[in-house]
Amino acid sequence: MALNKKLNRRNFLKAGAVAGSAAALAACAPPPAAAPGAPAAPDASAPTVAAAAPAAPAASTSTRPLSPTFYQWIYDLHPHIPELNKTLPNVKAEIAPTEGFGIERFVAETKNKESTWDVYVGMTPFVEMTQLISTGAIVPWDDYIPKDVLDDIIPSIREECSVNGKLYSWPFFLDITGSAWHSGITKAAGITKAPTTWDDVLTGAKAIIDSKAAPYGNVYDPQGWRSLAPMTHSMSTQVYTSEGRFDFNHDAAIEALILMKKLKDLGPANLLEAGASDGGVNSTPDEVAFAAEKAGFYFKYFNSPYRMAANWKDPNLLQIGAYPKFAGGEGSTVFWTTGACLFTYGQNKEAAAEYMKTLTYDKKIWQDSIAGTAAAHPVQLPVYTSIYKEWAASKPEWLPEAVNTISGQMPIAKAITNHLFGLKQFQLARPFYEKYLLGQETSEKTVMQQCMDAVTAELKKTA
Amino acid sequence: MAAISTRATRQSRLSASLQHWGNWVFLIPSAIFFLGYMIYPILRTLWLSFTDYRYLRQGPANFVGLQNFQYALSDPLVLIGLQRALQFTLVFLPGMIFLPLILAVMVDRVTVRGLATFYRVILLIPAVIPGPMIFVMWRLLYNYEIGPINYILVDVLGIFTKANAPQWVGNPSLVIPAVAVFQWWWGLGYHTMFFLAGLAAIPKDLYEAARIDGANEWQVFWGITIPRLRPIMAILVVLRFGTAMAVIDEYLLFGGFNRGLPTYTWTVYMYDLAFQTGEWLQGYAAAIGWLGAIGMLIITATLLYIFRNRDNN
Repeated sequence: MALNKKLNRRNFLKAGAVAGSAAALAACAPPPAAAPGAPAAPDASAPTVAAAAPAAPAASTSTRPLSPTFYQWIYDLHPHIPELNKTLPNVKAEIAPTEGFGIERFVAETKNKESTWDVYVGMTPFVEMTQLISTGAIVPWDDYIPKDVLDDIIPSIREECSVNGKLYSWPFFLDITGSAWHSGITKAAGITKAPTTWDDVLTGAKAIIDSKAAPYGNVYDPQGWRSLAPMTHSMSTQVYTSEGRFDFNHDAAIEALILMKKLKDLGPANLLEAGASDGGVNSTPDEVAFAAEKAGFYFKYFNSPYRMAANWKDPNLLQIGAYPKFAGGEGSTVFWTTGACLFTYGQNKEAAAEYMKTLTYDKKIWQDSIAGTAAAHPVQLPVYTSIYKEWAASKPEWLPEAVNTISGQMPIAKAITNHLFGLKQFQLARPFYEKYLLGQETSEKTVMQQCMDAVTAELKKTA
Repeated sequence: MAAISTRATRQSRLSASLQHWGNWVFLIPSAIFFLGYMIYPILRTLWLSFTDYRYLRQGPANFVGLQNFQYALSDPLVLIGLQRALQFTLVFLPGMIFLPLILAVMVDRVTVRGLATFYRVILLIPAVIPGPMIFVMWRLLYNYEIGPINYILVDVLGIFTKANAPQWVGNPSLVIPAVAVFQWWWGLGYHTMFFLAGLAAIPKDLYEAARIDGANEWQVFWGITIPRLRPIMAILVVLRFGTAMAVIDEYLLFGGFNRGLPTYTWTVYMYDLAFQTGEWLQGYAAAIGWLGAIGMLIITATLLYIFRNRDNN
């Protein structure tokens, strides 16, 4: 059949108008209504007030295998986990679409009252937990986690993972902020004693530069939750407002900022540069400098120096120690855990609890994490008291002394308080406290007030 | 007889209609894609911009009229963000036009066919490399500690010391030119092909006539080549203005979510509001997007007017 009728502009525009009108009508459909029985969004200024646990969907027979999903880096740093997953019956694990701490997929599915997965392994409480609770995406583990496991969690970690007494994150990996140094560089600089105070660090960092043992005396990650917060905790941990926000105006925070500037002056000029991945959060200049063996001291959560030292000619030159203290300070630091959350509309909740118990007590995972593998050496630690007791009673031959140093900080370490702006408050504050670090503003109190005001302004938008 | 004739007429009309509508069938896949991925999202964000929709808040969105737009017009970050994007565009556009133009003129002069083809292939290599690989590569090139650029400047040429080496990503004065340079490199081959096509369409006898009349190369370039390439330049300026103002991936790679940096433009602010901050204020973010889009449309219309065809016939 010959196609002898040509399209002309009028006909095309007519058809386009019809189709466009149809699209306009479709676009004007309101977003999905709230799920019935879903909790009200929590007050952003009261982080410890959780949403009431949502009415769980009616119990239904599971229609699929247990479906956990993992943040990619967990597979990268813990290669035994995917191997273990393959051996477990009726488990279908996948990598989550969560690059850059994104949770939008999980929230989108919750709005549709569905969940592709049952468990998400990769949640850090102060980063995403409040958001996931407020959207009704996750439910507490309390009805499913065995009581002996619950009681076995280190108390401060259990507190970190709980909201209103309910455990929303099943903690898995423990990261603590501490000290590390390149012993080849410190030895060349004539430093014989591990630094225990910030004054020791400043003296040692200057000695490293003056002796030309390395270009930089120290490096640290200037993002607030990785430096300002732990340095503040080393002076005092009572630095959170009643709403759970970090109090930038607190004397301890101001002291920490002054310290950050002194340390920065003994570090690389590009210390404040954005990282190369995850929206500037990771692959930061401090990691590059330490990996390139150009810095003596390094202050960050322990898995970073271990990962960077793996690039050295001799990784055994890495030494670690407790986070330094201020004279007269509390001597605390920051820890956080990466854990698993249970999706409201997921299935297999009882099986999920069994699965998480299996994972979190798996000896090979901890051996690989602490002793290292060809793939990675993250030195992330377990969260159970019983495991440490077992190691103390009968030390495995692969367990380095360093583990005692790291875990020894847990009694004094404190987590950043959970809040809707848990991580974001530090990103909002950064342009202001950076002015002080760059010498563009000389009053530390002025910039810290600006930090506080910036977070308050953003909170007002939410209100 | 009349009945038969009417029936025959009706049948031929039906047959013609079927033939006519048969043409539309071939448009359906493109139409679905166009409507689903272009029209629907645009209209959806328009609707969102008039609501207080927050992604992390449960409950339906409420209509708030122009409130989001009013708030956006008084939000300093919106104005600063648009200014920053415009600054980048003003740095980026001239290089994106004139560098490919000069290269095209040079390649067009190559008379050896094989060599000309070789040059064209080399120029197109950046265009076929996947975007993420380009970002990773240039981020490494610009790396302060281990990047090859600083290695050459500091260790080989000794122009800088380690202390004052350029911070291509960290220095607010350098980061915008750094992004512009890698964007020029990335688009060089693609835009050069545009100009080469334009140059091929210029009648050679114009150049011969001009040279016979005593015109030198500069006069030939400005008097013949540039005016004849004007339509292509217009297309590229308008297209690249839009893409330059809408850049986001590169800014996130080079500056993250630091609001103090020149890479925190209106697009990054929109993304930050919609997917990172607080309860994810997507209604407000949509309003910012529409304000930016309207501003860009006005400038685009102005550019089209500037580059309008001035021929009399």
